[in-house]
Formats: sequence, C-alpha cells, structure tokens
Amino acid sequence: MIASLNGIVKRYDSKLVLDYIDLDINEGQIIGLLGPNGAGKSTLIRCLTGMETVNQGNVTLFGDGKKPFQNKNKEKIGLVTQEISIFPELTAQENANFFAGIYGLKGEVRKRRVAEALAFVGLAEHTKGRAQNFSGGMQRRLNIACSLVHDPKFLIMDEPTVGIDPQSRNHILQAVKKLQRNGTTILYTTHYMEEVETIASEVVILDKGQIITRGTVQDLIRNIQHEERIKVEVSHPEEVSLESIQALPDVKQVIKDGNQILVVSSANSGHLDRILTIIKEDSGVVGINVEKANLEDVFLTLTGRTLRDGGSA
Amino acid sequence: MMRVLRTIPYTVIRMSRDYITLLLLLVVPIILITIFYFVLGDLKNQYGDPAFYDTAQLMTLVFQLFGGSIVIAHIQDDLFSPRRQRLMVAPMSRPFYALSISLCGMLYSIFLGFLLFLFTGIGLKVEWGNGFWVMYIIGLLAVLSSLVSLILIFAVKNFKLAERLSEVYGIGCIVLAGLFFPIPDYTVITFINEYLNPLLLAANAIGYAQSNLFPDAYIYMIRLGVGIVITFIIVFVLGRRKI
Repeated sequence: MIASLNGIVKRYDSKLVLDYIDLDINEGQIIGLLGPNGAGKSTLIRCLTGMETVNQGNVTLFGDGKKPFQNKNKEKIGLVTQEISIFPELTAQENANFFAGIYGLKGEVRKRRVAEALAFVGLAEHTKGRAQNFSGGMQRRLNIACSLVHDPKFLIMDEPTVGIDPQSRNHILQAVKKLQRNGTTILYTTHYMEEVETIASEVVILDKGQIITRGTVQDLIRNIQHEERIKVEVSHPEEVSLESIQALPDVKQVIKDGNQILVVSSANSGHLDRILTIIKEDSGVVGINVEKANLEDVFLTLTGRTLRDGGSA
Repeated sequence: MMRVLRTIPYTVIRMSRDYITLLLLLVVPIILITIFYFVLGDLKNQYGDPAFYDTAQLMTLVFQLFGGSIVIAHIQDDLFSPRRQRLMVAPMSRPFYALSISLCGMLYSIFLGFLLFLFTGIGLKVEWGNGFWVMYIIGLLAVLSSLVSLILIFAVKNFKLAERLSEVYGIGCIVLAGLFFPIPDYTVITFINEYLNPLLLAANAIGYAQSNLFPDAYIYMIRLGVGIVITFIIVFVLGRRKI
C-alpha cells in the first residue's frame, strides 16, 4: 500500500471541505481523482502530503501511520503543483538541480537524474534556457521534471495540464503512462474527464468533499450504461441484411434511415466487429459512429450536474 | 542542513539575475552620486572638506536602507507563494531555508554596498576613512534593514503592504535624518535620530571614526548592534509562527 486515507474530515472554519474520505492507493496504480472545481481535490492532496492537518481521521504513507510525513517518507513523494512552481530566473537544468539537491541527490547520480528528468519531459534540448523564456507548456513540463528528478515512488499531480496547448498536454499524458510502466504510483487530479479516461487505471469521483464513486472507467460506465448505439453509414443500404444483424445476441433494434443503419444493443455487447463484417458482405462502409457513455455521463447520473462547471445539466 | 546548503548557489544565482534590484540598488545610486559629483564640484562643507564627500557617503548608506527588499522578495516568492507547497512536501527544513535566503539577501545587499563604496572611494576619490570599519558599518546597516523588512513580511498578511511599509521605513529614516528638508528640533525626533534612526547611527559611526573619535563611533555602532539583536528576536518569534 502506497497511501491510505481513513475517515478524513477537513473543515475550514465551519465549512466542511472533506467529509469522511476513505481512500487506498495501491502500488503501480494511476488513480484519476476527478471532480468539479471546489470538490475538494486540492485539499485532499494537501491532507495527503501533510500540508494541512486534518480535523479527523488518519493518513498512512508507505505503511507508516504514526509519522507519515517524516523526511524518510517525503523523499519518496513527488508533487506536481497545480500552479507552476519553478524558479523563472533559473535555467531548466538549474531548476532540476535545485530540487535534486533538496531531495538529497549528489554527484554523478544528481547529474544523471537531472538529465534523465529533463529528457523525460522533452526538455533535453532546452536545458540551458531560462524558465521565464519558456512557453506555458514548457514551463508545465519543467514543473513536472522538477517533481520527478528524485525518482519518486508516489507522484501526485494536481491538475498538471491546466491552460496548456494540446501538444504539451499529450506529451504529459504519455509521460504519465510511461511513468506507470516504470513502476511509479500516480494520483492524478483533474476536471478533464478525457484525461482520466485515457490514463487512469482507477477513477475516484469526488464531489462536495465526498467520494461519490470509484472503480475502473469501464466499471463506472457499465454501472450507468444500459445500451449503446452504433451508426453505420453505408454505400448500398438496400442490400444490407438487417435480419442478420438483428439475429445477433443482445441486439435490441436495427433501423435503416436513408443510407444509415442504426443498431441499438446492450451496453458493451462487443458487436461492432460482427456488425461491420455483416454489412461489408453486402455493401461498403462509408462511416461509423459509436455513441457510448463517458465519465461525464457517470458524473451527471450520480450528481445531476455536469462535471466541467458543476452546473445543472 | 546539507540539503539547505545545496540550495545556496541557486539563491545567489537568482539574486544576481534580478536585474530590477540591481538597477534600483546599484545603477540608480551610481547615477545619482555621479550627478551630485558634477553638481557639487569643489563646494566645501563647514569643516573645509568637499561637500560631495558627505553626500556620497549618505547616498551610499541611504540605499542600504532598501536592501531589505531583496530578502522579502525572495521570502515571499519561496515561502508565501504557490512554490511554498513544493517546499512544504520536500524533505527539508523550511526555517533553515528561510534563514539561508535571509543570509544570502543580507550578504548580497552588503556586496552592493561594497560596490558603491568602491565606486565612490576609488572612482570618485571620496575620503571614507578606515575601509574595514566602513564596510563593517555598511554591513550592520544592511543586516538591520533586512531584519526590519522580515518583521514586516511576517507581521502583515499582504506582501504588497509589507513592501510599501519597508519603503516607508526607508523614506521615513531619510526624512527624519533631515535629508529632504530641515527637521525641527523636537525632543522626540532628536531621540529617534540619536538612538533609533539606523541611517544616522551608521553615518555617525563612520563620521566619528573618520575624525578618529572612536569611542563615539563605537557608541553608534553598538546602538546599531542592539537594534539588530532586538529585531532578530522579533523576526525569530514571528518567523516561527509563519514559516
């Protein structure tokens, strides 16, 4: 077990921000912590890292529940802050060196880790460039490199892709996946559900200080989804055998609408391949569109509100 | 402790790349002192020495009053901004880190004072007297100003307000010293200038030493030292609560 929160309650004055949070984070996972702005994600991170004291409950880090925030445990944690927290006056290399130093890296190891961390985030060509001259995306990536330079076992990323270009965002998401493959456990908070769907091995949805659900993306969607709709645009609709498609198990309805065939089946029936095979025997396929539920729908179903703005759907 | 020591080179690099501070605390005084050098020319003071000497010495000391801005800017950036989170989760002592930033800022301020001392002494031939004593007094003044600025940043919540108050401290000392306009001879103001105003304490310590009146020079030096001890205690108490 990398980290565990048991019955965490956090209040700011009379405002309840975290309401009896129980969360276990196991080794090698990417936990996607999803929730609208103000859900309590950043507060949860502050409690998990010891930046905030909790009003009630226990935090355990690396099996240590007595002194979880002692330096021995802090050395194994990396934090990618929501706001860019690097030194703009220093070069990329100097920034990484600064953080390597405070995590106790010395000599050749320090030199090697600095080079590796900068290369990992795609800044190997910009080591001598000053952070203040970097684009927003490059600064975000340097922000991540500084959190990785000591090779943490547990990386906490607090909305690391806010306000950056799609290219840097993809770079960051790919880097996160690569980190997991190398054995790093990651807690990734965001309010972009597409990101969580792409990278998370498990999703925790937080709303109004409470965990409202958790599980794999597929599990969460399966729990709320009852059917999927496959729309196939064909070249010769009159020649498609609708009966063959209708005969497939779990297919509820097949409708021909102009040059489109709409197939309604139970959720996750896995029929896409078979439907395409049947249609291709009789006609050409021009286009295809599968309408599936996503995490936005999960959040909407569970809270009656949209994820992005927390407003009513 | 070792981890904090490893941060010092980077703190020094950051300070040296803060060009605005260099401009305000080094370039501006050099320009102003040079202008006074030409304006005052051969004008003599009441003792028959060039009047420019007094002006150059006071200008050098005046800018030490604002040296605290270096320390508070870096303390604010590292310990009261989003960067604080990253340093809070790092396995490093924050109070020691704050101390290292403060010491670096003080030394940097003293170094800028040293450059002004060299410029006026060597470049403009100002008679300063014993150079070691002058640098010692400039050092005390820079340390005291930095400590006052630290008190302000620890005592108020708003960084901008702390910055403004540190400017009030600097300008207030200059006004009370009578450099902007003559100050009336009130007992309270005389007491402040004699015992509390660091600008005049430093100026008197240097002035008496120049005249070989070292017992008097020591008295003003000790008053500066007492100020440092008192402000350090306040910084220690406030800093423990805030960092």
